[in-house]
Amino acid sequence: KNFLDKKPLGAFSPDQLYNAAGVQGLLVGAYHMVSGEGGVTAGNNYASGASNWAFGSVAGGDSYKGSTPSDQGDVVFIETWAYNANNPYFNLKWQAVYDGAQRANDVIRTMAKVTDLDDASKKVMLAEAYFLRAHFHFEAKRMWNNVPFVDETITYVANNTNVPNIDGSGNYIDIWPKIEADMQKAVNDLPDKQPEIGRANKSAAIAYLGKIYLYEHKYALAKAQFDKIIPGTYGGSGNGQTSGGQAYRLVNFQDNFNAATDNSAESIFAYQSVVNDGSGTNGNYGDVLGFPNSAGPGGCCGFNNPSISLANSYKTDANGLPLLDTYNSTPNVSDPAAPYAGNLDPRIDLTMGRPGIPFFDWGPTPTNTWVRDPGSNGYFSPKKNVYSKSQQGVLSSTETSFWGPTQLDANNVNLIRFADVLLWQAECEIELNNPDRALALVNYVRKRAADPTGWVYKNSDYDAGAGKYKVQTTTADNYLVKEYPAGAFANKTYALKAIRFERKLELAMEGTRFFDLARWDNNTGTVMAPELNAFAAAEKVRPTIFAINNTSTFTARKNEYYPIPQQQIDIENAFGTVNLKQNPGY
Amino acid sequence: QQKTITGKVTDSNNQPIIGATVTVKGSNVAAQTNGEGHFTISVPGTSALLVFSSVGYEPQEMPVGSNIVLNVSLKTATSNLNEVVITGYTAQRKKDITGSVAVVEVDNMRQIPTGTPEKALQGQAAGVTVVTSGAPGGNSNIRIRGITSVGSTDPLVIIDGTQGNLHDINVNDIESIQVLKDAGAAAIYGVRGSNGVIVVTTKRGKSGKVRVTYDAYLGTQRPLKDGFNIANTQETANAIQQGYLNSGLTPGHKQLGTGNTPVIPDYITPTAAKEGDPNTDPSTYKLYDNQITKTNKVGTDWFHEIFKPAPITSHNLAVSQGTDKSTFYLSVNYFDQQGTMIETYQKRYSARINTTFNLNNKIRIGENAYVFYKRNPGLPDNNQDEDNAISMSYRESPLIPVYDIKGNFAGTGSQGLGNAKNPVAQLRRTANNKDNDWQVQGNVFAEVDLLKHFTARTSFGGFFDNHYWNMFSYTAYENAENNKNPNGFTENYMYNTSWTWTNTLTYNTQIKSHNIKVLVGTEAINNYQRGMFGTRNGYPLTGPSNLTVDPSLWTLLFGPPNGQVTGNLNINGGTNIDNKNPATPIQSSLYSQFGRVDYNFDDRYLLSGTLRRDGSSVFDKSQRWGVFPSVTAGWRISREKFFGSVSWLNELKLRGGWGKLGSISNINPTNAYTLYTQSAPISYYDINGTNNTSTLGIYNSQNGNRQTTWEEDIITNVGFDANLLENKLTFSLEWYKKAISGLLFTPNLAATAGGPPAPFVNAGNIQNTGIDIAATYHGNVNDFRFDITGTFTSYNNKVKSLPGGIKYYDQVSSGSNRFGAFSRLQPGEALGAFYGYQVVGLFQSDDDVNKSPKQDAAAPGRFKFKDANGDGKISDSDRVFFGNPNPKFTAGLNLEASYKGFDFSAFFYTSVGNDVINYVRYWTDFPQVFDGAMSKDAALNSWTPTNTGAKVPRLERGANFSTTTNFNSYYLENGSFLKCKSMVLGYNIPSAKIKQFGIDRLRVYIQAANLFTITKYTGLDPELTGSDLRDNTNFGIDFGNFPSNQKNYLFGVNVTF
Repeated sequence: KNFLDKKPLGAFSPDQLYNAAGVQGLLVGAYHMVSGEGGVTAGNNYASGASNWAFGSVAGGDSYKGSTPSDQGDVVFIETWAYNANNPYFNLKWQAVYDGAQRANDVIRTMAKVTDLDDASKKVMLAEAYFLRAHFHFEAKRMWNNVPFVDETITYVANNTNVPNIDGSGNYIDIWPKIEADMQKAVNDLPDKQPEIGRANKSAAIAYLGKIYLYEHKYALAKAQFDKIIPGTYGGSGNGQTSGGQAYRLVNFQDNFNAATDNSAESIFAYQSVVNDGSGTNGNYGDVLGFPNSAGPGGCCGFNNPSISLANSYKTDANGLPLLDTYNSTPNVSDPAAPYAGNLDPRIDLTMGRPGIPFFDWGPTPTNTWVRDPGSNGYFSPKKNVYSKSQQGVLSSTETSFWGPTQLDANNVNLIRFADVLLWQAECEIELNNPDRALALVNYVRKRAADPTGWVYKNSDYDAGAGKYKVQTTTADNYLVKEYPAGAFANKTYALKAIRFERKLELAMEGTRFFDLARWDNNTGTVMAPELNAFAAAEKVRPTIFAINNTSTFTARKNEYYPIPQQQIDIENAFGTVNLKQNPGY
Repeated sequence: QQKTITGKVTDSNNQPIIGATVTVKGSNVAAQTNGEGHFTISVPGTSALLVFSSVGYEPQEMPVGSNIVLNVSLKTATSNLNEVVITGYTAQRKKDITGSVAVVEVDNMRQIPTGTPEKALQGQAAGVTVVTSGAPGGNSNIRIRGITSVGSTDPLVIIDGTQGNLHDINVNDIESIQVLKDAGAAAIYGVRGSNGVIVVTTKRGKSGKVRVTYDAYLGTQRPLKDGFNIANTQETANAIQQGYLNSGLTPGHKQLGTGNTPVIPDYITPTAAKEGDPNTDPSTYKLYDNQITKTNKVGTDWFHEIFKPAPITSHNLAVSQGTDKSTFYLSVNYFDQQGTMIETYQKRYSARINTTFNLNNKIRIGENAYVFYKRNPGLPDNNQDEDNAISMSYRESPLIPVYDIKGNFAGTGSQGLGNAKNPVAQLRRTANNKDNDWQVQGNVFAEVDLLKHFTARTSFGGFFDNHYWNMFSYTAYENAENNKNPNGFTENYMYNTSWTWTNTLTYNTQIKSHNIKVLVGTEAINNYQRGMFGTRNGYPLTGPSNLTVDPSLWTLLFGPPNGQVTGNLNINGGTNIDNKNPATPIQSSLYSQFGRVDYNFDDRYLLSGTLRRDGSSVFDKSQRWGVFPSVTAGWRISREKFFGSVSWLNELKLRGGWGKLGSISNINPTNAYTLYTQSAPISYYDINGTNNTSTLGIYNSQNGNRQTTWEEDIITNVGFDANLLENKLTFSLEWYKKAISGLLFTPNLAATAGGPPAPFVNAGNIQNTGIDIAATYHGNVNDFRFDITGTFTSYNNKVKSLPGGIKYYDQVSSGSNRFGAFSRLQPGEALGAFYGYQVVGLFQSDDDVNKSPKQDAAAPGRFKFKDANGDGKISDSDRVFFGNPNPKFTAGLNLEASYKGFDFSAFFYTSVGNDVINYVRYWTDFPQVFDGAMSKDAALNSWTPTNTGAKVPRLERGANFSTTTNFNSYYLENGSFLKCKSMVLGYNIPSAKIKQFGIDRLRVYIQAANLFTITKYTGLDPELTGSDLRDNTNFGIDFGNFPSNQKNYLFGVNVTF
């Protein structure tokens, strides 16, 4: 009876998508998940955002969770390395990355049925899908190490969605080869330039493939990739360019963290944050809590406060070099009782809001109001994801369908920027025993930091469009940053320490610290645990969350990878077969 | 050989009985007596038998013989067994009923002053559990014989034969309510019957003169006296400061200073300022920068700032009349309940017109029409949420005054006082929100008597609902969070319609002692719903000093056009993807065939069977059709000859039944389809890097399942009905078992399946067993008459199994997810059972810590959890089921008494054995939770090394495993209660005094509702609805619940002309 046939209203049936427009729409939908937000089941969550603020920055010692101790209490456990498999933050991230992988698979599956597209276009779109699938799996891999790989054969209809992370003998499967293979396909078929700058292009795929090799500690292979994209001006032989066709180069530091100037020549791949597009939440959602509290820009919520240790890392000596070994001793930077008065790397004030230092055009960062609970969160506020006052309402959201529009802005989340590539290549070069080349690469990054036009100045108006202060007479603090002198990297141990420290300074608060430490540790237990336990020891005597949780300990050869979400283990193993095996130690 | 008989029907005092029914036995020929008790009826011949009946009288049979005039005197009934009640598609005498049907005493129900009849159903029918809140127009959890689904358990409501909604019916229009509880009674509703069926009939005109009745009451509702038992300013400050000290920290609260004893500042903005501070000079006042706010040194009583005494009013006027040719009933009602919570209210204007016309002896046509307009803003669905104003009244710090020095709202924008919102501001800002709901419900019908024994009936009915509402969100400058949000305005519009077309044919005959009644029918139902919203932001300020906008500007014409968002509404009005509430538009349909046979032999042996075949659009073609049978049998033992000698037992009927029902209440109507869609927040992407425009993307929004079908409910029911002591005591007891299988479930899919949620599948079983008891005693001593009616409802609910292999589902509540799940669905446990760590006490010393199982962050004064698995350490696997929100039983007791002109009634309701979670304590017992308000318990009686008997843990700053980060039995309380829901004292003015004004009857009464509640619960009210009424996997959790136990005092009048 026709009377009982009620078609769904307001939705496509799958066959309505077997065409160019359909598959293109699915590809855009897959890009959407780069945000880490908006999956049907995961929804919008602070946990799963592209920036990995909790997993990469907080757990890595860049920052404290922030707010009052019980607020987003799940992050306390991440912060103090007391995490277990039931922590919902892990499940939310897991859901988001596999949602993304399956959206990429939807493109691949649907493409097989599309008839109105030429082969060349199909190839490019598939390459983008493989790029994204590799990206989502890379995110999973570095979070949990022993993760399943979800290809296009995995579907609800095929009833094979309980994808294992172990083989038939119960050994963990290593998905690096599959990630490599996907990214290699992307390298092969992506064009040098893309009509839309948010899409991945060939250079981005090469950079990402290099990043993958680097995480596998395959330095020679990684170096070969980076060589292909580092231009001659940076001592390389490559011709890397953005999707828009700009040759890669370092730009004004602040331009990487400013919606008005993002997608610069330094941006290799980024989450394209957008506001006032009618979505309510397509801005930089993962970081909405990470704004100065109360009366500051955003008006909420005082999370992700840069740590006192991180601020101390920016101390420099008379030569403008970092205090690699002694940076974290007293006096502390901005300590209200006895502040450090020496030289500082100017990047500190581009990375964090610091009491008394101008915060764009919002005036000097106040001492009291922007940190919600100074008793446990130190003195600093996040800055790289924050907008300037003149951008308010234009590059920050005014859509009230989300409760905190003033905390959403259009600042892209950089997933790979050119400075990253230079520092990765420096690591490759030093591992491959080319200290001079490594030194040169690090110094490109330091040279940019030393450019006084990019610094913070007192008593000056901030020009958001240029990402610079208009009048550059009085620096906000005693800035001194210099390149490492020639030959400085002759000692490999020193060089490695310096390169790694440079990554900390350059990429602080960008969600990478934890993963870099784990990568350097390489499951030896010799790098990450000592580093973070020293950090915790220093923090316990300061007004920080560690003072309350003074037994916090990072456990070597366990905490380098996060526990696989118990909920996923329970689902996948429900029918008696063990598909997902928990990581060692949990 | 027709002949006409006339006559008069009188009572034992020789007074005429108006509206008595006269029928020719074994046929459908009937007549009614007029205002003088006279009747005229045409009978087929001298052998005919006439049956005279009227409510409240024993029916009497008279052979016609050669008479042409028959005068009959009816005896007052002492039993109600001949009372006719409307059940599924038909009417039955009580004594013939073999299924489980609870007949509600509508008069008792009307005593409860509420605008929503389902609230008044509480305790009035055995087997029906109603959990409600005090929010005007708020919704309730209604459970007929336990929880039959993990989703909604709302029963099917049939009003005058058409599917409808009880929520907005005018309670004065209700003639009768029957609750069909078992399969024998409800299986004729097939795939919709599993949650039980509430059958409502509305009033019709009765024979006689025009009757005019006017019923009205007005009263006052009084907020609870004690509120949340919150500490005052000094106590709160002490507690917070002590938290720092106990954690080994230098006190670092922004307002209270760094010393060991807190300094209460004169001002909270400027932060911790003293009188005389230059920044307290009013001339320096500025919103945001210096919103000068004095400390409330006594402490603001936020609860009583938002809960105030409020009036309640109802006026009802009804006019009705009936003749042998037609009847009409007209009523108009005005109901106005102001909520005790400021700015909440429900106002409803309604009218009903019910008519019937007897075109001749054989054809009757008629209609029932109900129209209402209501205004009920403040969205009752916002009850039970940690962000509503009730919750803010226990979260907002007492240091904060309601207003700053300029009369603007004060709030947590003053530093260090938490993240709560000023609840007065929250509510005041809703004052101009509009909510307009127009609905028309009803049906038209025609009945034709065919041949001798047949009646054909057709009915077409349904409802349409036009609902418009809007809301303005102001910039809440006074709060700690989101204080610069642009203002915004949202308009919503919803259109919802449903029609039902029912055709039945009834055959009725009596052959000697064999009584046979057969009904067959078909039914078609069509539902369609769609809604939309539009939002704009950034409205121009007409009150710049307090960031307000004149309500006359609230149109979609202001503000920047690029901030406009439009979309379709979900059924629940939100914009999130919700399987249970798919985004509109939605449509569904149902086509059914059904039949019923009732047979009785000699009024002794009763046998009944029903069968329904349903086809529903919400399933795939292959799974669409279901057949739902039932059989019931009854044995009226008291009609047996051997029973004659038992004098104290007037009636005894054993009955039992079995049958199958279904439920489709909880399925997404497009569940069979795999779908893709576009959605800005889910699939659009700024692929051009524009910062302000997204490119449209597509995503897989749902997986379809073609195998899914209805939930199946097999009910077994046995019971007996007895009348004792000259019919003064009626008693009924039933035992039942409901086995629900193929639960409609969205199982958790592995994330590796991708984003779309699992479709509903049939998996898992739950079972309810229970006992229902109803008893009534009528007594009188001379002029003193009294009635006692009791109902007893119990259900024992258990999850029997989950989809293959799944061990449990953790259920996160929509009220708050700060602990993750509060309840776990697991075979062997009840739905909603609370699951977490069992607190065995507080650690008393370091020694105690060392001797106890290893527990993360263990320390003296913190929670000590039970090592349930005995492995010497506390881990996730030590969590246990420690509470059950399902009551062991609920019971209602109605007492009525009258003496001469006076009448008195009282109604008590009790729920026993229901555990509740007092989530309020999460906010009020721990200073580390946002520095908001503290309970007196925590502030004055927390654990210290010298106060080791305390229940509240040590005051601290740290949030960790042993303090605030997990759900545990600390929050568990006994939620049993006894409520005196109503007490009424009435007086009938003697008719001699009022006759001269043309008044037949004038009664005045005074009433006290919720005069007292007896409970050990320390929160406001232990009666707690679920935070999502469509989700029965977690409830009984106090997230900020509008209490339903506030005292009301009313004065009322009933007048009949």
